[in-house]
Amino acid sequence: MLARPGLPSFEYVQAANAAEVHSLMQQSGARLMMGGTDLFPQMREGVCEPETIVDVKHVPGMRDLSYDERLGLNIGAAVTMNQLVRHRDVQAHYPILAQAAHSVASYQLRNRATIGGNVCNASPCADTSPAVMVLEGVMVLQAKGAERNAPAADFVTGPGQTAIEPGEFLAAIRLPAPPAGAVGRYLKLGRSRLGDLSIVGVAVLGYPDPAAASGYRFRIALGSVAPIPLRAPAAEEILAANTPSEETFAAAAEEAMGVATPITDVRAGATYQKMMVRALTIRALRDVWAELAPGKGA
Amino acid sequence: MTHATAAASQRIGGTIGRSVRRIDAHDKVTGAATYADDLLAARGPGLYYGRLVRSPHAHALIRSIDASKALAVRGVKAVVTGEDTPTRIGLYLKDRHIFALDRARLVGDPVAGVIATSEEIAEEAARLVEVEYEELPAVFDPAEAIRPDAPLIHPELGEYEVVNFIFPKPGTNISEHFKLRRGDVEAAWPQCEIIVEGTFRLPPIQHVPIEPHVAISLWEQSGQVTLWTCSQSPFAQRDLIAQSMGIPHGNLRVISPYVGGGFGGKAGVSMEACAVAMARAVKGHPVKLRMTREEEFICTNARQSLEAHTKIGCDSQGNLLAMETRYIFGGGASNEYGVNIARAAGYSCTGPYLIPNVKGDSYCVYTNTPVGSAMRGFGMPEIHWGIEQIIDQLAEKIGMDSAEFRRRNCVKTGETILTGMEMPAINLEACIDKVTEAIQWDRREPPSAPHKRRGKGIAIMWKAPAMPPNAGSSAVVRLNEDGTVNVEIGAQELGQGAFTVLAQVAAEALGVPYEWVRISAPVDTRYSPYEWQTVASRITWSVGNAVMAAAGDARHKILAVVAEHWDEDPADLDIKDGLVMSFKSEREQPLEGLVVYGLPNENFEGWKGGPIIGTGNFMPTYVTNLDFETGQGTRAVVHYTVGAQAVDLEVDTETGQLEILKIASAYDVGKALNPDLIMTQIEGGAVHGLSSAFEALKFDEKGRPLNNNLVDYRIATVADIPREIHGDIVETPLEDGPWGARGVGEHVMVQTAPAIANAIYDALGIRFSDLPLSAEKIFLALQ
Amino acid sequence: MHTITVTINGAAEYLAVRSNMTLLQMLREELGLTGTKNGCEAGECGACTVLLDGEPVNACMVLAVESDGHQVITVEGLAEGDELAPLQESFIELNAVQCGFCTPGMLTSAHALLQRHPKPTEDEIEEAVLGNLCRCTGYVRIVDAIRDAAGSSASASGKGGAR
Repeated sequence: MLARPGLPSFEYVQAANAAEVHSLMQQSGARLMMGGTDLFPQMREGVCEPETIVDVKHVPGMRDLSYDERLGLNIGAAVTMNQLVRHRDVQAHYPILAQAAHSVASYQLRNRATIGGNVCNASPCADTSPAVMVLEGVMVLQAKGAERNAPAADFVTGPGQTAIEPGEFLAAIRLPAPPAGAVGRYLKLGRSRLGDLSIVGVAVLGYPDPAAASGYRFRIALGSVAPIPLRAPAAEEILAANTPSEETFAAAAEEAMGVATPITDVRAGATYQKMMVRALTIRALRDVWAELAPGKGA
Repeated sequence: MTHATAAASQRIGGTIGRSVRRIDAHDKVTGAATYADDLLAARGPGLYYGRLVRSPHAHALIRSIDASKALAVRGVKAVVTGEDTPTRIGLYLKDRHIFALDRARLVGDPVAGVIATSEEIAEEAARLVEVEYEELPAVFDPAEAIRPDAPLIHPELGEYEVVNFIFPKPGTNISEHFKLRRGDVEAAWPQCEIIVEGTFRLPPIQHVPIEPHVAISLWEQSGQVTLWTCSQSPFAQRDLIAQSMGIPHGNLRVISPYVGGGFGGKAGVSMEACAVAMARAVKGHPVKLRMTREEEFICTNARQSLEAHTKIGCDSQGNLLAMETRYIFGGGASNEYGVNIARAAGYSCTGPYLIPNVKGDSYCVYTNTPVGSAMRGFGMPEIHWGIEQIIDQLAEKIGMDSAEFRRRNCVKTGETILTGMEMPAINLEACIDKVTEAIQWDRREPPSAPHKRRGKGIAIMWKAPAMPPNAGSSAVVRLNEDGTVNVEIGAQELGQGAFTVLAQVAAEALGVPYEWVRISAPVDTRYSPYEWQTVASRITWSVGNAVMAAAGDARHKILAVVAEHWDEDPADLDIKDGLVMSFKSEREQPLEGLVVYGLPNENFEGWKGGPIIGTGNFMPTYVTNLDFETGQGTRAVVHYTVGAQAVDLEVDTETGQLEILKIASAYDVGKALNPDLIMTQIEGGAVHGLSSAFEALKFDEKGRPLNNNLVDYRIATVADIPREIHGDIVETPLEDGPWGARGVGEHVMVQTAPAIANAIYDALGIRFSDLPLSAEKIFLALQ
Repeated sequence: MHTITVTINGAAEYLAVRSNMTLLQMLREELGLTGTKNGCEAGECGACTVLLDGEPVNACMVLAVESDGHQVITVEGLAEGDELAPLQESFIELNAVQCGFCTPGMLTSAHALLQRHPKPTEDEIEEAVLGNLCRCTGYVRIVDAIRDAAGSSASASGKGGAR
């Protein structure tokens, strides 16, 4: 209710490499830090009280952002939102991720806020999570001497909860090369036009697929409307099965609304959030369709 | 930028009516401008910090306080509690303890203060102070708090000291009841063709200055006490704290550097008195006390909530005949300042309309919510929210254009208004004309997309400076060797441009270039002349008059010396651009030298003159008391400023989101002393008003805040502003204003919210009677 | 305690800082650079915006120790001696200043904007100062002044450009 002035006491340690991260993580009360933009407010509010903060952004690779046509995009966990927004390959091949990153808070905060922090904080309203989910990203989790990949789809397990096991840390997020011809859109609704936390976030990725009855496939992920970010499989099936049209979009959006289980809080009421899932899904589908099949109408 | 009248550009002299550069701007763009937190910014030995222990309960008896664990923390110097400050404090009604004595009345009420060598230690120790509470039933809603069976928040109300124009009702939560009775409403209702009735509600909101409250106090062994703070009211703070703590006024020195936004929130006393009480416990050491943003939202001041019930009727021609209104302000845990908001709402309860039959009751009631206090508009944004919508409803029912309905019924110069006072010269019709023209009122424009709806709305306003009848101002003008001028005032620069305009006034009244004038800042009650408070949009007018008088006094003294020296009649002399000149002999004498050293007699046989100092003051002497039963009196207030706003907006029916396309404003400022500074008030006020329509302090069922941070209490950002803000200035001179000027600082946001609501109605046919607005609320109403 | 070296407004500073000291506290309390303001300590108001290696950050959201080896520019570092930067001149000329508490953060944000986009679009100006709250001006003059400083007043259309 009443946050303290300044930050409580802790010890700051900078980890130079992964091995150091692993050894420092063993200390009781240790907490990893990248941008700190979620962590510091939580510390002021007393939500978390780490004894040691381990700054992991200087670990080699953590701030690397590289693209390969075949392998896709490798995003170090400590890559900032603005790095993503500005990066040519992200803009060219993963514009939906650039849109999601750009929608986060303010320019200043995006210079500090990291994608790893955004997904690991596992807030239901994390903007990059839905985008990473429709891009079918993989979370690279590093344990001592071992690395495993966790699909983004199952990464967040609850508010503030992730699939990260003790002894692991998020080193990178890998996004496969997007399907040929893919078009993405992230639409976010806040209480004000820009800069708010999302009360509804909808990510839609569409691409041509001759194997689908409709000739197209769409992936839909929702943020802020459930304890965790969600895919909307029933909506995706409708879109794969039926020719894109206003009716199809409306039916799909209805299904997307169906998977949303928001709660009423100080930011928004559940009914509004659900109905906005529908509204934003339709808008995102229209936008994506207009770019996928220019002039075809809907 | 557009200005309504050619008069705006009429040059009276070199400075008045000219948009000179702000006197404070250079300091502010270089980071050199000093604010309270910048004083004693560096940690150093001997500087202590304070943190407050706050009640977690909205209403509770304090059974015991055990500070022993806190006092055992290394670095903790003292802990003070309500027992150290048992006397009450308050502006109009002394209903407050500096630290809660036996009872906490809101979540966040200060119950103890911990002083330590660092803020961090003080914070840790404050968490160790053990307070035993006995929770009491709490009440948050004003309509519930006024009921006879509501939990009593101030059982001792009858014992409180109160000014003679405020009327608390002991044994209830009612701290003020203002009654306005004019004509006979019961007889008038049958004559009405149309009657509309409605209830309108506003939640408490916060000022949200970007600078949170900061106070530093030093209590010296000698009994000299200093308080450095960001204050709209250095003198009122000196007065109230001195009275409450038994300090001779001459021993208490309040110094206020630049204020980082006030909007009323830094008027009167809030946490500053805590700092002084804490300093007394550690004599010889300055104690720095700062509010976090989270505290700023709930522990300083807020705008009061309001429930307004209004019934209004007109004849078949659209002439207003009767109004009956009941305002219940939720004044929060203390109403020491807020009682006068209810009073101001009472004596202006009709809004800017001439209505022959009026029955108005305006109440301030205690609630277990943040302390309601002055906020930009002082009751007027609250009452205009309902008035300006119900007027629209009436106009619609009678089938008249709502702008035309306002033109017909709005108050005009010389009319006898609801209190029996004759309306001083204003031109509200011209303001209506300006905004209807700017918004293209008669044109219906299509929305930009099929799922959007477009609408226009208008609202008008009035507001008088709300203050004690005899709130005074004073000024000193000192001339320097080179002819430059230092102007001493007790008024504050809050961002509104007061220092600039007062320097213009001094320059013009003395006859020197604006660039020669300096304002002696910071305001320091030891050296600065008396000023009641920087509130009520009264500075340009009241302090302007005092500075004009002081500069006139200095001018008079200078001319007397030179006239004697030249053996001429002072009436034939004038000062222009820093030169004394004679119309008769055409002789000239620069001010340089003369204003300090005087002038040598011929043949150097003696001297004339001496250092020139001019003094002046101003206090309205003509305001009368109002009858307790009827609110009638010859002169309720000093004057009114009036204005109009029109809004053009679009609603996205798929999301409920609003886009404000344009806000057009016009205000009758009497005389624009600095037109561009008025435009910046108009622009900033339009956005403040727009933002306020979406703001609310929210609490859970126990009175605990849910959004006391900038994430969940959102104020307008650059992305929320209207696409266009248009401003017009109307100039109908005020009889006793400097060059005819009256204030406009608050007025610029008073009617923005109802103008938006009227435009939403125009777009959607849906009326919102309760604030805040939100996209969610609009969307759900559309379903 | 950490010993750090940081270049502030062009001059190297050697400091010993506690782990929990923010860059904001270091600037204000250790170095007396009080132009950078404390408005919320939560990264929400932008009053503490400074440039870290040329990019705007909320100084309340950066640990002092993290600035080790980096360059920091504050509002005090925008003018060249007595010569105000064009942005500062524009803020004065267009009355973009009222209470002045948001001004240092506005100026540093805008300064960085003009470094990366010498001729910013309306959207770029909006993006640059979205995180800088102002309660006085209604932002109109601030946007005007940034546009003015960029010398792109010819493109003054759209938001706030109607005056």
